[in-house]
Amino acid sequence: MNNKPKIGVYVCHCGINISHTVDVEAVAEFASQLPNVRVAREYSYMCSDPGQALIREDIKNEGLNRVVVASCSPRMHELTFRKTLAEAGLNPYYLEMANIREHCSWVHGDREKATAKAKRLVAAAAVKARLLEPLQEKEVDVEPASLIIGAGIAGIQAALDIAEAGFKVYLVEKTPSVGGRMSQLDKTFPTLDCSACILTPKMVDVASHPNIELLTYSQVEDVSGYVGNFDVKVRKKARYVDMDKCTGCGVCAQECRLTGRIPSEFDEGMGKRAAIYLPFPQAVPAKYTIDPERCLMLTRGKCGKSPKCVDACGTGAINFEQEDEIVEFKVGSIIVATGFDVFDASRKPEYGYNDYENVITGLELERLVSASGPTGGDILIGKGDDAYVPKDIAFIKCVGSRDKSVGNEYCSRVCCMYTAKLAHLLTEKIPDANVRVYYMDVRAFGKGFEEFYDRVRREGVRYIRGNPSEVFKRGDKLVVKAENTLTSTPVEDEVDLVVLAVGLEPRRDAREIIDILRLSQSGDRFYMEAHPKLAPVDTATDGVFLAGCAQGPKDIPDTVAQAKGAASSALVLLSSGKVKVQAQVSHINEDTCRGCGYCVEICPYSAIELVTVNQFGHEALVARVNDALCKGCGACVAGCFSGSAQQKSFMDGQILPQIAALGVMR
Amino acid sequence: MVDLEKLRTVAKETISRDDVKYLIGWRQGTYGFRVTPCFIEEPGEAEQLIFSPLCTNNLASYLIVTEKLPLPRGEKPDTRKVAVMVKGCDSRAVVQQLIEQGIKREELYIIGCPCEGVLDLKKVEAKFPHILDPVAAQWGKDKIIFQLPEGVVEVPREEVLAQKCLDCRDPNPVIADITLGEEIEAWGNGEYQDVKELEAKSAEERWAFWEDKFSSCIRCYSCRNVCPMCYCKDCILDRLNPSWIYRSTNISENTAFHLSRAFHLAGRCIECGECERVCPVDIPLMKLNQKFSKEVEEKYGYRPGIDPEAKPLQSSYRPDDKEDFIL
Repeated sequence: MNNKPKIGVYVCHCGINISHTVDVEAVAEFASQLPNVRVAREYSYMCSDPGQALIREDIKNEGLNRVVVASCSPRMHELTFRKTLAEAGLNPYYLEMANIREHCSWVHGDREKATAKAKRLVAAAAVKARLLEPLQEKEVDVEPASLIIGAGIAGIQAALDIAEAGFKVYLVEKTPSVGGRMSQLDKTFPTLDCSACILTPKMVDVASHPNIELLTYSQVEDVSGYVGNFDVKVRKKARYVDMDKCTGCGVCAQECRLTGRIPSEFDEGMGKRAAIYLPFPQAVPAKYTIDPERCLMLTRGKCGKSPKCVDACGTGAINFEQEDEIVEFKVGSIIVATGFDVFDASRKPEYGYNDYENVITGLELERLVSASGPTGGDILIGKGDDAYVPKDIAFIKCVGSRDKSVGNEYCSRVCCMYTAKLAHLLTEKIPDANVRVYYMDVRAFGKGFEEFYDRVRREGVRYIRGNPSEVFKRGDKLVVKAENTLTSTPVEDEVDLVVLAVGLEPRRDAREIIDILRLSQSGDRFYMEAHPKLAPVDTATDGVFLAGCAQGPKDIPDTVAQAKGAASSALVLLSSGKVKVQAQVSHINEDTCRGCGYCVEICPYSAIELVTVNQFGHEALVARVNDALCKGCGACVAGCFSGSAQQKSFMDGQILPQIAALGVMR
Repeated sequence: MVDLEKLRTVAKETISRDDVKYLIGWRQGTYGFRVTPCFIEEPGEAEQLIFSPLCTNNLASYLIVTEKLPLPRGEKPDTRKVAVMVKGCDSRAVVQQLIEQGIKREELYIIGCPCEGVLDLKKVEAKFPHILDPVAAQWGKDKIIFQLPEGVVEVPREEVLAQKCLDCRDPNPVIADITLGEEIEAWGNGEYQDVKELEAKSAEERWAFWEDKFSSCIRCYSCRNVCPMCYCKDCILDRLNPSWIYRSTNISENTAFHLSRAFHLAGRCIECGECERVCPVDIPLMKLNQKFSKEVEEKYGYRPGIDPEAKPLQSSYRPDDKEDFIL
């Protein structure tokens, strides 16, 4: 084949996105004069069907063997045009894009200068196109299984969808039970469905589904490999209870010497549990777990004459000798559904969360309202005989959200509505309660939200616009100090209970999963999706998807929708059975490589290893890239001192002439 | 102080071992204050070895430039150990080479020599010009004792010590199989006074300073060739395609060369000062290297060539690494 470059240049108007600042006709005319350019055309939408047909026709009729598309960012349409080339029988990597939209027309105003810049960008792209080499995409098999990290509603839903489609699912949950945050809620807005009633059946399904392997009280230790072929290592923490023998009768917990003395995580510390515990009555699996940090036997090695739980257990399920177990398996895709933590209200000391027992968070009130909560659903503040039913109740919204002072600029998206829901539940439970809500804005954007907000206001809940500056004690009462910004009047409101509508934050241990899966974080510290609009469940790591609040604050319907989206993305991979791996991989010149191993350490995908080669009788270390693992990020290229690492399609010999053609270098 | 008898005995024993190929040490040069590196293969040659304030060369440089000639088929490479004498700073070079897998620990036998600071020959020869007969020197308390042809002369230490030694924090070898002599208390404070003085100047003044220095560079590449950390088989600065730096000696290309070199040493320079010592036009290269050392130490708490188990700075990452340099 005659490989003398014959380049076709296609300049896109992008409607008027490009053509309103760049004289596209002039750019095309200029391009047609460039060396090796056979044809240069402009068209209103190159990405459209007729636009692509134009390229295909020219490849056939003019014998083009390189294509330059001057349009938008390659992030947008590089794949589109690669496909066009492939359809016309040309290697798809003979494509070079000149970004004259994001890099030019969108950021410039002066038509003349923008046109001159577009010409340079096109000239540079044409120079690089001349130097491009054909690359082959490899295919690898996909392991027909999925790992889901986190068994809240997002993880549960995704697991059920994938399992129903006939693929194996490993559902890993850190705590002893599935259910997550949703299991802590009493009712769900705006329909006031009982949270447990709609969640529990799904929890049971997850446990009984033949395709789902449930790994509760377990944590992902390590993930290696690549899309389609991840090797996963999970640590099953010792429960000190034999899962097969435990019947979940609960006698052990009644007998435990520490019964009623350990704050229950499920009840946000308001209820008490024993050292051997079931997190909540509907927990799945309904098996007990011993808290290794509290159990006397495990912390001191002694529990009276003999541990009472052991004496009480009829099936001999308790085993203090149990050890952590490492489970290893292979999966083709991974869904991260690790959820959120609520904002720590003590970081806003002005609201007195640490100082007053009648300043509580929304999630704590949720437990108080719940029939399965520490008070059996009665709204009682304080302990024992001093407990009282609050009459004057103030909610403060946006605690830890939309607040730069605590580093959370984002809106947590659920607080407005859960406040409305809790306010409604309070007026229901305490008919003579006087409830007011201090707010900055009310964001009732979802289906049925505005109607619900309206209903709550009609029920007598007063909404006062103002962000309280302080909560302090005066006599028996708490005073909420604020300014009613609608009437510009200062307010000192005496109340019995202050509820802080705390926002949602990334998990405090979010970093662990980032390190294991090489995820990115967005500015709000939640896990970052691959594209905010077009790839909202994907991540920068192929084969890893996001669901639920791990990606950003969400309510339950959005979480379920995203979980189903993540499940279907995972299924696309699993059901196709094959996955194409990056062709623009890094390559190391073993003749110049010194084997220092910097690239091995730098590579975020563990794609490079040092191998021993024979160099004229001497053993020498050199680095070698595993093409299937390489994502073409180029980190090794930047880190290599001798320039031995080069990324295909972005080699020094291709980029430097391109830069030179921009006219910034000799 | 290292006892010469002890040194020679140890060297003799070492070179007599079956698993040692040769020993790299120092011996008196042919004239004046010159001391030259020597490769000892026979026990008898050990008598030549010396260790004195004139032993400036960093012998670790020789560990990585050994030429490996093609071997006839069937012949096994000689993997016997190389014995090497190291000062504190030289030992850091060895450690950094180990970190970067340039050499294998099992192929080394390290003879550590605690060092009270070596001399700057330019300062010494300015004081005692035109001396042709070989001169010996030794350390005294806060002074250096020279045996000049006309007799013994003592000079205060600060007057003749190399700049890099005035603020030395590692007089004792950080790695050694055997250490000769007593451990010495470090006197450097790591305050990078030299760098701070330069930093205090305005950008224009600094540029004028470096423009003056770089413009005299003749691009002999001595600084690169002597550096124990410059070991690429094919140096990127020599490459013609693509040509990162043109061969012409002008201020632009010279600056590009020196800055690239300094960047390649960031987090790797072990501050032995060899580049500055060998520079024929007296470019104060250590000021450049030290600037990087200072940044690296202040930002990442990292000093290269201290811990053989450490990961290289450029390829290690901590979530709490400072990112304030990112614009």
